[in-house]
Amino acid sequence: MLAFFERELVTKKKWLTHEEFAESIVMGQLTPGAPIVNTGIFIGYRLNRLRGALATVAGQVLPSFVIVLILSFLYIKYKEIALLKAVLKGIGAAVVGLIASVIYSMSGKLLKEYKSILIAIGAFLCLGVFKLNPIGLIVVAGIAGVFMFRGEHRNGNP
Amino acid sequence: MEILKFFWTIFYINLFTIGGGYVMLPLLQREVVDHYHWLSNKEFIDSIAIGQVTPGPLTIMNVFIGYKIFGFWGALGAVFFSYLPSIIVVTIASHYYLKFKNSWIVKASFKGIRPAVIGLLAAVAITLGRASIVDFPTGLIATGGFAILVFTKVEPTFVILGAGVAGALLY
Repeated sequence: MLAFFERELVTKKKWLTHEEFAESIVMGQLTPGAPIVNTGIFIGYRLNRLRGALATVAGQVLPSFVIVLILSFLYIKYKEIALLKAVLKGIGAAVVGLIASVIYSMSGKLLKEYKSILIAIGAFLCLGVFKLNPIGLIVVAGIAGVFMFRGEHRNGNP
Repeated sequence: MEILKFFWTIFYINLFTIGGGYVMLPLLQREVVDHYHWLSNKEFIDSIAIGQVTPGPLTIMNVFIGYKIFGFWGALGAVFFSYLPSIIVVTIASHYYLKFKNSWIVKASFKGIRPAVIGLLAAVAITLGRASIVDFPTGLIATGGFAILVFTKVEPTFVILGAGVAGALLY
């Protein structure tokens, strides 16, 4: 999807330079919400202020919105049919496999030293065992990061 | 006024979805399933599947949740309140882009948040696994899907669709 974005916006339409495009991706990842949507908002805002931002959200979300609406309608209407139940049973299992694969690939990239591993295990226990509020946990993890990784970033290190 | 509670929930969940779309899952499960009981764990899994097979961001699954609980207006409100936090935060942050990007506080806090997300997702995977892996074939589909996604470049959408076909054949 990002490659597609880049070809359209940078190479074909020349609305952005490659550097600006790379900046937008960073911005999408550092802000709350779906990264791809946020990247779009950042680009839209840069091109045409608030109107541009709203237009990109509408453009990105409208097609999926319509599709999800249709799927939801069908889901509720046909949920009790045996065939759909069987399909959903298979899909449900695959969703768990999918989440596991996301965990696997993120772990490979992020859990490289003991501090990160400690945070991951702590977060797992807090939610899985102690049932603490995950929003609170994200906030606490962010604050913990500021203290634990302060030395690595503070003095102008990249 | 249940629907206003729902919109507010969607708004703040998306405000705290920091570090990728999947972060939303533990937050949503907590509120929508455990707290308000708007959906069962099974229906929650179905909503993830719908978010995943549809083109566009996973967060579009909120539309399904809204439709399931409150019908069309729930769906429309869900899409609006899902992306409102993004619009507000990104437009503000873009004014301070350089400061924001180079801030050591932002970098260090993300270094804390990203590993925490892994732990949170693992906890979610376990509760969802309990609801959806109920026998040998479902266990097989889950491990098979995991292996395909980890070891090949097949898109998640096709794995989910394939699992649907497998479910139809097996049950």
